[in-house]
Amino acid sequence: MSPAFILTTCPFCGCGCGFYLVVVNGRAVSVAPCFSDRVSRGGLCIKGRRAHEFIHSKDRLRVPLIRRNGGFAEATWDEALDFVAGKLSAIRSVSPDAVGLLSSAKCTNEENYLMMKLARAVIGTNNVDHCARLCHASTVAGLAAAFGSGAMTNSIPEVAEADCILVTGSNTIEQHPLIGTRVLEAKERGATLIVVDPRETMLSDHADIFLRQRPGTDVAWLNAFMNVIIAEDLHDKTFIAERTEGFEEMAALAGRYPPGRAAEITGIPAGDLAAAARAYARAGSAMILYSMGITQHTSGTDNVKSVANLAMLTGNVGKACSGVNPLRGQNNVQGACDMGALPNVYSGYQRVADPAARAKFGRAWNAELPERPGLTLCEMMEAAAAGALRAMYIMGENPMVSDPDSNHVRRALGSLDLLVVQDIFMSETAALAHVVLPGVCYAEKDGTFTNTDRSVLPVRKALDAPGEARADWEIIRDLARRLGSGAFSYASPAAVMDEIAATTPSYGGISHARLEAGETPAWPCPDARSAGTQFLHKDRFARGRGLFHAVEYRPPAEETDAEYPLIMTTGRTMFHYHTGTMTRRIGLLNHEVPAGYVEIHPLDAGRLKIADGDTVDVASRRGEIAIAAQVTERVPEGTVFIPFHFAEAAANVLTNRALDPEAKIPGLKVCAVRVTGRNGR
Amino acid sequence: MIAKSGEPSSAPVGAVLVLGGGVAGIQAALDLAEAGQKVYLLESRASIGGTMASLDKTFPTNDCAMCILSPKLVQAGRHLNIELITYADLEKVEGEAGRFRVRIKRKPRYVDPAKCTGCGDCATVDVPDPAELVEHRGELWIRRLDIDEVKCTQCGDCVRACRKENPEAPAMGSVHHRQSEEAQPGRRTAGADLRDLRNMDGAGRLAYWRRHMSRCIKCYGCRDVCPVFVESECRMEEWARPGRLPPDAPLYHLARAYYIAARCTHCGYCEDVCPGDLPLRTLVDLVRHADPGDLFEFVPGLPAAAGRRMRRAFPLPKKAEGTA
Repeated sequence: MSPAFILTTCPFCGCGCGFYLVVVNGRAVSVAPCFSDRVSRGGLCIKGRRAHEFIHSKDRLRVPLIRRNGGFAEATWDEALDFVAGKLSAIRSVSPDAVGLLSSAKCTNEENYLMMKLARAVIGTNNVDHCARLCHASTVAGLAAAFGSGAMTNSIPEVAEADCILVTGSNTIEQHPLIGTRVLEAKERGATLIVVDPRETMLSDHADIFLRQRPGTDVAWLNAFMNVIIAEDLHDKTFIAERTEGFEEMAALAGRYPPGRAAEITGIPAGDLAAAARAYARAGSAMILYSMGITQHTSGTDNVKSVANLAMLTGNVGKACSGVNPLRGQNNVQGACDMGALPNVYSGYQRVADPAARAKFGRAWNAELPERPGLTLCEMMEAAAAGALRAMYIMGENPMVSDPDSNHVRRALGSLDLLVVQDIFMSETAALAHVVLPGVCYAEKDGTFTNTDRSVLPVRKALDAPGEARADWEIIRDLARRLGSGAFSYASPAAVMDEIAATTPSYGGISHARLEAGETPAWPCPDARSAGTQFLHKDRFARGRGLFHAVEYRPPAEETDAEYPLIMTTGRTMFHYHTGTMTRRIGLLNHEVPAGYVEIHPLDAGRLKIADGDTVDVASRRGEIAIAAQVTERVPEGTVFIPFHFAEAAANVLTNRALDPEAKIPGLKVCAVRVTGRNGR
Repeated sequence: MIAKSGEPSSAPVGAVLVLGGGVAGIQAALDLAEAGQKVYLLESRASIGGTMASLDKTFPTNDCAMCILSPKLVQAGRHLNIELITYADLEKVEGEAGRFRVRIKRKPRYVDPAKCTGCGDCATVDVPDPAELVEHRGELWIRRLDIDEVKCTQCGDCVRACRKENPEAPAMGSVHHRQSEEAQPGRRTAGADLRDLRNMDGAGRLAYWRRHMSRCIKCYGCRDVCPVFVESECRMEEWARPGRLPPDAPLYHLARAYYIAARCTHCGYCEDVCPGDLPLRTLVDLVRHADPGDLFEFVPGLPAAAGRRMRRAFPLPKKAEGTA
């Protein structure tokens, strides 16, 4: 039988690489490059090259499971959905806000839209959120305040043509490989590369200027950058006067952060700081790429606002090869946010608190909609632990591994009356559920993903679902019907997209027919004639004028002390994806990195009598894990690094659930720990 | 190649015209182009390949003719230093060695190859006598060159189809025009890189490769797409420490290059899919020219023997730290 080549979109990171899935006799056998793809240009990273391998894993969920007598019993779809619908409607009749729903940045736009519609129109609560809370909640809040729109301003191909690239808090080559290689391409063409990161990464090896700040001190160095730029008169006065407001207050505050003071706070030598600031300000077009290292702090929103300040100060917004570019982690985290799987907004960031938006969606869905913004992901966990939240419906997320303070998450989920998990594998979270519903992966359904540069990309069904598993949009649709809704009569994801286009101005011109014709428009794309928007804020900011924020440095929520003397920071590696549910089922990736490890500086290791490869205990104020030590100068002295992919040595047992006050993002990047070797005992 | 004032020069001068696009001409063109010369390969038929393309077996080995020829066709077609001039004849040669001028007559055609996108629309229009042209249907533009000028009624439907598909730059029409062109100098190629590399000392060569290999993101794409790489024979995973980025240079890359050296078809697919844009073909070339026997007592295709020598030449760091 001849192979079929199905063009689809990679299910791992936010780059949104297109590739062909090669299917023979109903099995995905390999991934073939697509040379006309805008992002990948035929190249892929190690994960994308093996995106077919986990699809046919033996342990895929195939039938619905209901917990009975302490174990799982197989059930039919009717039994499982009736059970869930019965329980949910009982809880709904007491209090709709006792239900929390977690949508999924791994699922399609259509499914996220249905999930938020299920929450708002059927259950009647705004308690819907997803893992964006853990990654770019502060971006959405911070950039919305500064520019009026919280997304990557420019597009991926522009990276290769920028004159200067400032990368901070992003291990771009490992986390967004096909954006990382574009940074290297720009470097080969002569661009200046500035990397600001506590950790040495593959990208910092290529940097012209590499600054290593102490974790959690980003506002200080950003303010010092602006101090130097203003003091040396390198700012773009025309842009500031014509396009922005609030400059005076910000300039006054930046005046209080000369490089000398910032050097004390951040540990970056003052001379290097000034040199980097000059290089950034003098470049014809300068691009900022940032990621979790900026956002996952209790001061995350402040960090993002400072980054926005820096770009506006030098006029690097609203033109090609510039801008503020948050690199979104998940394949569809941008889309899940756009679709309104957030407690305070509908699709297209239309605010729940705005009566006009509420009325519009109420009419479209023929339902009375709740007006109070709902709980965020971490607040849901708190509410569940406190008993206020009685039921949770989790689609395609694994908070047991991904959320901070895993022990607390376990207690919270354990105290629910109903936990429904819809997933493709028996994840650590699914193992705690009352009902497990088998969804399907990217290769088994139609839909769209929105990648980090806002392009809407097609996902095509290449295979049949395993066993009785059903597409996630079908499961939500069928559940909504059982809960008595008459507004869920979709025949296909294309029909859902038509509704999205009708209710969401920025997606107004997007339809499956257009994607089938080979287009990948980037939003805002208001109507069918629009080709999409390559870069945002061209002649005016989404909010009118760009707003400078005067942002004072605040130390991180958790500081080291004698008992917990080291700072732990978490992250990912090239070779795995997030909680590893997919990538840890891929042979080559397990060969590369089979288990968790803690990176520790040789000086710290020497003091603690730890040798490379030793098993050590890492403890924080919340928990303790045993993990292999990797002695390396990649981390600075006083800091340790643990990738969070590995459930058996989960970094998030240790992390702090203290939240950023505005965006409610936890400070995953900084927590105080103690490392103990086992030799001395 | 003309050397300046007796000194060996690495910059080639002028260009070379190769007459005839059969296998001999193709091979001559490839060798010259790889040496850094600009080559114009002239063929009077519509496509290169010559007689060998129509043979089944080759004397005396009974090898499959296309298996030998087709990689060369692909190479000649995609080589930056080879410009194909097909469906054209040589009319006149003037001048002397090193300073030739030639006049080439391009036969009349209906397609401008620079603009043609290969959409094939022109071949799908109704023609007055379908029986005569049916064999041309659905083929790429090159078929249109074969339009039988006696039977063609000049209806123009194919030209209209082309205009409809490519309104900005239609490829079809009356494209008969005179043009005069100076011979272009050769572009820097893998071959030129190769020559420089062979003139470098070991340290310089290692620095060159470390610089390029520092962009490798270890996707294994060069191996995954390679038509001659057999994973069960050479496990690239074993040639670099797991989990390290970039992978240990140059071992990781050398292992692959030496393994495929003898059978590499130069198809270039490894370079096409490389997200880090590494000069992978040059590495294979270098490995071919730098006799593996001298360097590593190595027989291509026997990776185990090479392994011991290569590992001794480029030991992996003992400590965890220190990627290349």
